Amino acid sequence: MSLLEIEGLRVQFRTATGVSRAVDGLSLSVDAGQVLAIVGESGCGKSVTAMAILGLLPEGISRADGTIRFEGRDLLALTDREMQKIRGKAVSMVFQEPMTSLNPVLTVGRQIGETLRLHEGLGRRATEARALEMLRLVGIPEPERRLKQYPHELSGGMRQRVMIAMALACNPRLLIADEPTTALDVTVQAQILDLMRDLIGRTGTGMVLITHDFGVVAEMAQRVVVMYAGRKVEEAPVRDLFAAPRHPYTRALLDSMPRLTEGGEAPEELTEIPGVVPALTEPVRACTFEPRCPRASDQCRTLYPPFRECGDDHMVACWNPEPQPDAAVAEPRRQGEMKA
Amino acid sequence: MPATTLAATERPDLFVVRRRRSGVLGFLIGNPRITIGGGMLALVVLMAICAPLLATHDPLSLAPWLRARFPSAEHWFGTDMLGRDIYSRVIYGARVSLTVGISVAVLTSVVGLFIGLIAGYLRWADGILMRVMDGLMAIPSILLAVALMALTRGSMVNVIIAVTIADIPRMCRLVRGVVLSAREQPYVEAAVATGTRTHVIIRRHILPNTLAPMIVQATYICASAMIVEAILSFIGAGTPPTTPSWGNIMAEGRALWQIKPFIVFFPAVFLSVTVLAVNLLGDGLRDLLDPRAATRT
Amino acid sequence: MLRYMVRRILATIPVMVVVAIFVFSLLYFAPGDPAAIIAGDQATAEDIALIRESLGLDRPFLVRFGEWSWNILNGDLGTSIFTGLPITHLIAQRIEPTLSLTVLTLVFAILVAVPLGVLAAWKAGTWVDSAVMIFAVLGFSVPIFVVGYILAWLMALQLGWLPVQGYRSIGDGLWPWFRSLILPSISLGCVYIALIARITRSTVVEVLRQDYIRTARAKGLAQMPTLFIHGLRNAAVPIVTVIGIGFAMLISGTVVTESVFALPGLGRLTIDAILHRDYPVIQALVLIFSFAYVLVNLAVDLAYTLFDPRIRY
Repeated sequence: MSLLEIEGLRVQFRTATGVSRAVDGLSLSVDAGQVLAIVGESGCGKSVTAMAILGLLPEGISRADGTIRFEGRDLLALTDREMQKIRGKAVSMVFQEPMTSLNPVLTVGRQIGETLRLHEGLGRRATEARALEMLRLVGIPEPERRLKQYPHELSGGMRQRVMIAMALACNPRLLIADEPTTALDVTVQAQILDLMRDLIGRTGTGMVLITHDFGVVAEMAQRVVVMYAGRKVEEAPVRDLFAAPRHPYTRALLDSMPRLTEGGEAPEELTEIPGVVPALTEPVRACTFEPRCPRASDQCRTLYPPFRECGDDHMVACWNPEPQPDAAVAEPRRQGEMKA
Repeated sequence: MPATTLAATERPDLFVVRRRRSGVLGFLIGNPRITIGGGMLALVVLMAICAPLLATHDPLSLAPWLRARFPSAEHWFGTDMLGRDIYSRVIYGARVSLTVGISVAVLTSVVGLFIGLIAGYLRWADGILMRVMDGLMAIPSILLAVALMALTRGSMVNVIIAVTIADIPRMCRLVRGVVLSAREQPYVEAAVATGTRTHVIIRRHILPNTLAPMIVQATYICASAMIVEAILSFIGAGTPPTTPSWGNIMAEGRALWQIKPFIVFFPAVFLSVTVLAVNLLGDGLRDLLDPRAATRT
Repeated sequence: MLRYMVRRILATIPVMVVVAIFVFSLLYFAPGDPAAIIAGDQATAEDIALIRESLGLDRPFLVRFGEWSWNILNGDLGTSIFTGLPITHLIAQRIEPTLSLTVLTLVFAILVAVPLGVLAAWKAGTWVDSAVMIFAVLGFSVPIFVVGYILAWLMALQLGWLPVQGYRSIGDGLWPWFRSLILPSISLGCVYIALIARITRSTVVEVLRQDYIRTARAKGLAQMPTLFIHGLRNAAVPIVTVIGIGFAMLISGTVVTESVFALPGLGRLTIDAILHRDYPVIQALVLIFSFAYVLVNLAVDLAYTLFDPRIRY
């Protein structure tokens, strides 16, 4: 049994212009100790998926169906009270914006301690000791002093460390990280990634990593799901995806990333993906990527492609997938990408 | 993994969203507060204009032998202490309330805009003007109006002037705030940098920005001015007692309210409904135009 | 922190000076001649001149303003024309009901309005929210004396639960005192509750959209602690600001409320002073009420530091 198993997840929002199908039939699974990356442009349903797992979709204007099975329990069927016992304890989350994700009027110690008191029922002393330990664990210097400080007195990298300390305080079995390093400086990014990999590697925590940065994917993940317009368009182990992206969208995403070629020469020319993500309020008939796709054919304009096997443990939803490249050609290229 | 992606589209949507209507009817349905508030206000305005047609008696004629009669077929809302027909006085009272409310709203807008523009534009004047406004704001508006009224004879014009003076700081601060933030906008800075004349900048860039919040603020001021007018009359510092204003009718009924509550009741209902209409209109406009700068205080 | 406090305290001085100048010149530049009004219709020009001299009305503006201010700083608010008593004495007699009414209303309004606003924000877009907002717009629209009469008619005349009018001193016992203030406080509090509930709702709605609220929920915090620990505290500064600004409404309202419920307070004194054209009393009362407003807002400024650790200038 996988740690997390999502099947046919749909999340819809009520908007002024109609029903927005933010996530439309997503399925994926994560094993304990595994890192699964979800990749895609902004607005393709990545963060909504994360919020759906935690049961934090805004009430009233959004609805979800399908199943999200965590350790065998369907999270979508749980009451809010039951979800509260899971959130922050068994499943926790690190958000994108460390600057705004911490409460500005409460001390760091209070915010970390809150999780511990809630889920572990620790007393005042024990909470403080454990919070201190967590700060030390995430590599914050002078943890005693930091404990009594407010978020605005910390740097961005430091705040993200606090977020991670908070997320890992109760030893979760699943960690969801939504663009955990996007808002940080490049040097700090590497440190934070190292920290997260180190911490979850030690505890065997499973992880869903949401990002649009293939560098981060290469650094962290074993498996990748590519999402476009609320749907999964490709899924493969990281190596295979980098070596041979089959969906034209994945290819385009990879081509739009800056990277070093093997000899450290000047970066290749970057290509951008023409057009924009389609409105999610339109009913889906044809392939949603077709208007932006260089490989589009008549078939693409009439029917959405099925999600099917296109290689060993490699699946894609495309009528005209990119050809499987020659292994010999792909090899040097992948090496370069992995470093990026 | 099974190919479930396609199956998703075959399931029905989780929401049924009805498309909004367009056109005038759609606007009225989409903005119920503007519709209800505006509609009620239109009725009151119509009542004020047609007062001579609607009134059954002369609102000023005294009939002491008919003092404080309960409502009847002849006197729909009863009669007051001096035997005047309350229904007719209430109908005419709409004229007083609306005149005061609208005049104060217009006057504070004009004066507030003028002072606000000066304060927003002239640095040296800003300090002085804002200190003065802070001081004026510190004097509770009804007390200020009361103090001003104590100096002059009670008349509608004086009430309008007194309430306007008390309300000017609210408008003034609003305009100044909008001017200061508009001046920071890149397109205004660009206009300044390219040597556009100040009055052109004000007309083209600043005024359009102030208009929406000013309209909303003026609506709120209109509502509060009508209440202040009634309160002034009620405590004997407003329009002369003969004037058929809602506050005066209530002041008239004050002594008898425990046994003849209807004297206070009818003008109270009309006043509350009118103010409610204006406030609803203001809230609706506020949501429609979303001017964050306009506040209730 | 100390510097912030000192600066806020110093900043109130110019406001108080402007208020003083305004209140003073209000009566100085008045179109009517107070001496003539006091003298009455039958007075001769000599009588008027005599009264003017006895009141010191013939001296220049600055001299009179200086003297007046000096006297105020020394605790002398002048003498009532109508009663001939020192104004400080009149005020001391009347301050208890007003102070009781204001403080009680303030506490009661905050206790009702803030939870109401938070509730509306939490249930934003539902019927609960609509109900609270309808109540708020009604609170703004129905004048205090109308609310007062309706309440008095219903609770006192029809049901007989509470006294119709009048004030019982706190010296007569806490319960009679409290009973005599229930209806006045509710009438006076309506506008204030509407004001505070409205700003609480809009600020909390704004705060609930913030990322740290999502973080708190992601930690497993339930709705209520999230709302009150993480939400309300961040919304505190605008709410407290409006409580301070709205205090002016409360003061204005006491004048009306005391009149409706026959409370012998400063509001009644104001109305009596207007009826008698007792200018020094009007002047003193406007000044005192305004200073009270300025002081409450100073307290608000200082309270900011309690709620938001980022304010330290």
